[in-house]
Amino acid sequence: MKKNIAYIILIATSLLIGSPAKADTLDSLQLKARMGYSIGGTAPIPLPETIRSIESYSLTPSFMVGFDAMLPLTQQWGIMTGLHFENKGMKATITTKAYFMEVVKGDQKMAGLFTGHVEQKVKQWMLTVPVLATFTLSRKVMLKGGPYVSFLLNKGFSGIASDGYLRKDNPTGPKILMGNREGEWATYDFDDDMRSLQFGIGIGVDWQVHKRIGVSADLNWGLTGIFPSDFKTVEQTLYPVYGTIGVFYRLK
Amino acid sequence: MNKYIIFIGLCCYCMTSCIKDEALNKECDIESAWVEGVEYEQYFYQTTEMRKEKISSAETNIVFFVRSILSLSKQIPLNFKITDGATIEPANGSMQDFTKGTVAYTVTSEDGKWKRTYNVTFQETSLPVQKFSFEHVETRAEQTLLGGTNEIHVFYEKDITSDSNEPNYCWATGNPGLALTMTDSKPEDFPVYSSTDGKVGRGVCLNTQSAGALGEWMKKPIAAGSLFLGKFVIDYVLSDALKATQFGVPNSKEPVRITGWYKYQPGEKFTDKNMKEYPDRKDEASIYAVYYRNTDDQGESYILDGHDMEDLDKVLDNPQVYKMARVASLPATDTWTQWEMFFEGRDAPDDIVAAQGFNLALVFSSSKSGAQFEGAIGSTLYVDEVEVSYVK
Repeated sequence: MKKNIAYIILIATSLLIGSPAKADTLDSLQLKARMGYSIGGTAPIPLPETIRSIESYSLTPSFMVGFDAMLPLTQQWGIMTGLHFENKGMKATITTKAYFMEVVKGDQKMAGLFTGHVEQKVKQWMLTVPVLATFTLSRKVMLKGGPYVSFLLNKGFSGIASDGYLRKDNPTGPKILMGNREGEWATYDFDDDMRSLQFGIGIGVDWQVHKRIGVSADLNWGLTGIFPSDFKTVEQTLYPVYGTIGVFYRLK
Repeated sequence: MNKYIIFIGLCCYCMTSCIKDEALNKECDIESAWVEGVEYEQYFYQTTEMRKEKISSAETNIVFFVRSILSLSKQIPLNFKITDGATIEPANGSMQDFTKGTVAYTVTSEDGKWKRTYNVTFQETSLPVQKFSFEHVETRAEQTLLGGTNEIHVFYEKDITSDSNEPNYCWATGNPGLALTMTDSKPEDFPVYSSTDGKVGRGVCLNTQSAGALGEWMKKPIAAGSLFLGKFVIDYVLSDALKATQFGVPNSKEPVRITGWYKYQPGEKFTDKNMKEYPDRKDEASIYAVYYRNTDDQGESYILDGHDMEDLDKVLDNPQVYKMARVASLPATDTWTQWEMFFEGRDAPDDIVAAQGFNLALVFSSSKSGAQFEGAIGSTLYVDEVEVSYVK
């Protein structure tokens, strides 16, 4: 894992240093330390018809800290990269109707269509390297957009299926009732099946409010599902889509 | 700042606005079935027999017990409650002739993609024989979604006293519960199966098994082999396992004594529901029977389930229960050994007995406390040639 982190840092720095920068352009390098709070979800997009409602969505400690470096290439255009440590967490309760799910333990499996409540928890601590094009709109406002790659350091995908029933295998299979207490409901976790690398597209804006302090807003849209495509247990591909509101401090 | 609004807007859009229109129902169950009308009451022993409520999701045989098949009017209308939006063929409430045997009803789901066929039968007696030799067994194969086939033995009886050749599925086992987590299994892989090693012909083998990693995780780590007169309602297996075993079938004679043959070997390690080992405890087999009133004070049908059998010493305290019989002990043996048990309790009123107002529950288990998920994996009980003596 350490090797991978080192690799990401290497990419980040080489992108900056390796760019055709002379001494004077390096002088114009902008460095920003930033932190933020993310809100979003890891969900199938669009939501399948088997998800009937989102009953609750609770905030999870989805913090982001990191730094970015921006190299102006022309008066308006530039390139930005950095290293962010962040969590894209989620805790949501949804109601489902005939939603395909599978419970796996050891070599045993139980699969079927679940109608009821699903409490879903997602935890994704990751290191993210964005590679963004920047466009300076005014002295204060800078737009940015481009791909990012995330390496997951700690991941979790677990949940509880309760207050409903599972039709085993298909809608004509045995109907297994689930209660609302431990021992009467089914739980699942697929922590180990999650992808370690994620890719996506990010867009955002940095707004310099004061001399060195600014606020930012970003949207990171995952293009890869959180599970590899050969993982069939979770029927729909789940994409992480998170918006981050943050503050930054301009170091240079 | 505008961007910020767009982001929030996008998030909200994804999370809520994308909820699609509800799909049409995929299920196609008969939830209840009933005969309505005073003119039909004469065919039944009790009016409670005219309604079949809360039909188990795994059940496709619906049986109505009647006094006499021959006296049935040729056409009887049967009403059903089915899944919302589903359709049934022949039509709900249509006149059908049940005197010639089974009538098949097909329910089609609202979305038209799924079908279930139910066999509805009117039968004369619930318990057709006095002797159970366990020679009648059929193998039911079910395809599992995850590949493979589960094959399960289902025991049934044939009514030798009437001309009806319909099988009577009066026996139930916990096998379907274990089958939920099995993907490719033969009948012999289950806790209850028909063995060629019977006292005479075939017999029943009941063995306590590990319920695997999934079972252990759900605090149901072992599956005792249990065979009983009644129904196994799989719907409750996870949320309320004791409610899944519903003991007893209507019986119009008062039992006095039950005899039979057995072989038994307890398993090595006795464990509890947390798989904690108890070196000083030895597993025991259990054979008992209960005779109880199948209608309660409110006139509703009454069935004993696993909760009522949790403490066998207290079963007779239940006001619905009239009589009980237990085999005192079943020592380990490798040779066929005879057992017998006598009913104790209070006498049942003859008129109610004759009117099928009582149920007989007869239970065999390879682990006495199997319902509490306590026992020893490997405990094996063989049972055969069971005979019930009745009050003359």
